[in-house]
Amino acid sequence: MSAPAQPDLARIQEVAWADKNYLIVDDFVGIRQLLRESLRNLGARNIDQASSGGEAMNLLGRIRYDVVLCDYNLGEGKNGQQVLEEARQRNLLNPSSVWLMVSAEKSTESVMGAAEHQPDAYLIKPITEGVLLTRLNRVWHKKQLFRPIDQACAEKDYLRAARLCDDEIARGAEGEGANVHRIDLLRMKARLMEKSGQPLKAREAYDEVLAEREYQWARAGLAKIRMANGELEQARQLFQGVIAENRYYIDAYDQLALAYQQMGQLEEACSVLERAARLSPNSVPRQRHFGQVCLKLGNVGMAEKAFRKCIAIGEYSYVKTADAYLGLARVCGMKNEPKEALLLLGMVQREFPTDDVRLRAKITEGMVFHESGDYRRARKAGDELEEMLAVSPQRPDTTTCLEMATLLFSVGVKEAPVALLCYVIRNNHDSLLLQDEVQQIFDKARMGEEGVALIRASKKEAADLMNQGVLLWKTGKLDEAIAWMRHARTTLPSNLRILFNAAQILLSSMQQNGYNILLADEAIDVLMQVDRIHPGQQRFAQLMEQLALLAPETATHAADASAGAVDPA
Amino acid sequence: MDDTPHAHELFVFLAATAHDMKNSISVVSGTLERLLDDDAPGTALRDSTAYPQMAQMLYQTRRLNDNLMQLLALYKEVGTPAYPLDIALADVAQLGEQVAAGNRVLLAARAIDFEVAAAPGLCWHLDEDLVIGVVNHAINNATRYTRDRIRLSMGECEGMLEIRVEDNGDGFPPALLAAGAAAGRARAVDFRANSAGLGLYFATEVAKMHTHRGTAGTVRLENGGALGGGCFVLRLP
Repeated sequence: MSAPAQPDLARIQEVAWADKNYLIVDDFVGIRQLLRESLRNLGARNIDQASSGGEAMNLLGRIRYDVVLCDYNLGEGKNGQQVLEEARQRNLLNPSSVWLMVSAEKSTESVMGAAEHQPDAYLIKPITEGVLLTRLNRVWHKKQLFRPIDQACAEKDYLRAARLCDDEIARGAEGEGANVHRIDLLRMKARLMEKSGQPLKAREAYDEVLAEREYQWARAGLAKIRMANGELEQARQLFQGVIAENRYYIDAYDQLALAYQQMGQLEEACSVLERAARLSPNSVPRQRHFGQVCLKLGNVGMAEKAFRKCIAIGEYSYVKTADAYLGLARVCGMKNEPKEALLLLGMVQREFPTDDVRLRAKITEGMVFHESGDYRRARKAGDELEEMLAVSPQRPDTTTCLEMATLLFSVGVKEAPVALLCYVIRNNHDSLLLQDEVQQIFDKARMGEEGVALIRASKKEAADLMNQGVLLWKTGKLDEAIAWMRHARTTLPSNLRILFNAAQILLSSMQQNGYNILLADEAIDVLMQVDRIHPGQQRFAQLMEQLALLAPETATHAADASAGAVDPA
Repeated sequence: MDDTPHAHELFVFLAATAHDMKNSISVVSGTLERLLDDDAPGTALRDSTAYPQMAQMLYQTRRLNDNLMQLLALYKEVGTPAYPLDIALADVAQLGEQVAAGNRVLLAARAIDFEVAAAPGLCWHLDEDLVIGVVNHAINNATRYTRDRIRLSMGECEGMLEIRVEDNGDGFPPALLAAGAAAGRARAVDFRANSAGLGLYFATEVAKMHTHRGTAGTVRLENGGALGGGCFVLRLP
């Protein structure tokens, strides 16, 4: 093609770049002017400019942009990645919006593997007009191709999304689609299979990639599956292999640290995280992880550094965490600076004004006083916690419940921790691991024998609650079964088996009596609760798929959805 | 900075690159200064809109110069930076499109006819930014040697992706061909001799970064090819 501009011109008409809304974010006025000129030459009329991350956020909050050209380095304040993360998390971008990250050199962020919010493309300066247009077109066409898959993902219908990936791969192989996305599609499919609780299928997809080319992310994907399967040593070796191949693949460090932790090797986990934090220090989750491991090891100095860094990053980032403040408060307690700890606990409640954080701040307060030997104040915190529990029926996640029970026992409160532990057992009545953990807490509180009886009674209570619902369902009393499961869910809001069975019964009712929007919404609520507390369940993916097939627009497929089984306790 | 021979070689390369860049910057800023200075008030250039734009260019050139100086000062402390290699599947024709888009203005200004021939539908695993960087450099180099045509061709050859940048000039001088052969045999390249050697060193480094099942990429220079002039040949596994 001796006239390379020709195909581009054809596409300009196809993609109406002139009518789109553009935002240019760069702290350097010269570059902004240059990019604006280039966009104007593409016919663009609506071009806004921002010279800082803060200014960009203001504009993004008011206007829906189709294309954002954002420099990675924005000087003081937020960087380009943080602007992107906040914009995505606050839903300020349309799914079709194109985000191009601009930088002076190849950034390590592009190859780290874990960044949840990747831009659509990285562009390296200098950017000529021609390059800008070709990249815009490419990104646009890729987004078109992935749109149905992304849509299915947004609806959490992971199995449908995975099937769409397969279809697209097949189209590419037959020369109908673009073969260039094959690897991306396989990567997407592997992730979907992981989310659907089907690690074997995820492994197949990764293996298919690796048969073609050694990709670190595929190798790391295999390692993660091994780790989830309890093959810790194999996982460790695989992660180390990935790091040896590419020392910038930071996700492998984070995962390797997790593997060491599960193997009980905290020192190793700590040193891996230290290396990762040195290579890529500006990650809130990594600094939090690092701080928490240091805390467990009793390395107060390193824990303090990690938590302080975590809070400092959070200043400009939308991704911040209460854990950093709570962890730092614990550090202060260990350094015998309870006043400083209390200041932090006040701060965290102002930064994160939720009931959950209020409760966890109070638990931390009790721990800080207990650790610094102020037993009177520790007991007072314990009493206040008891009051908070009495006021609200809501309970925090399992880890927090166990932490709270441990603290309450240690400051001399009796009834509240027992109730908490029974609550945890009722909501996890088939988890042997958790039962051991709860029994240990009872043992430490010198309630070993009572603990055994309490655990047994709680398990039975949960099983009875569930079996009654299954019995009603099996005897064809569907409405009664639904009503019973509603009651069971209110009593045990985080019991996976009960939640799954509740969703299954709602589904069978619709399979027999036809689609009902109220029941369908109820089933979705139940499944979303499952996904919140325990993501990656195979049954979740299956039920979501069946539910989607029941919806009227795909009513013709409803016959395919076979009735699943409700499992008794 | 670690003391392996390779690291030392890389450092000398970077220092040489910086030197080359400083030369270019000096030429640009010198030319701009002369143009701006020669034009007395009341003359055509001084009154045209190009004048403030050229002044802005001179300013930017100065900035570039200052930044480069800082970079060099800092570099010695930071040590050898490793490049974050980012391999992904790329459509070879799209890669060609991208290169064409990036060089269109420059080539048109020099009245050079540019032609891209890419095997349709061919996809390859490579670091696109790096490969485009290498090809751009080769094209830039070819503009010096060509009469009026440059051809970029990309296709599969003996299981490798072969990217050729060819021109219709008199071909590379023997010294450069020798440097190319040295690069091909992974010998030390004397990139201090000229800037073409510099580009060759970078291209060889990029080729070596691309490995697959024990095979690494290669670079070679030859004369002849489809247009009868110089050919730059990059092969990737």
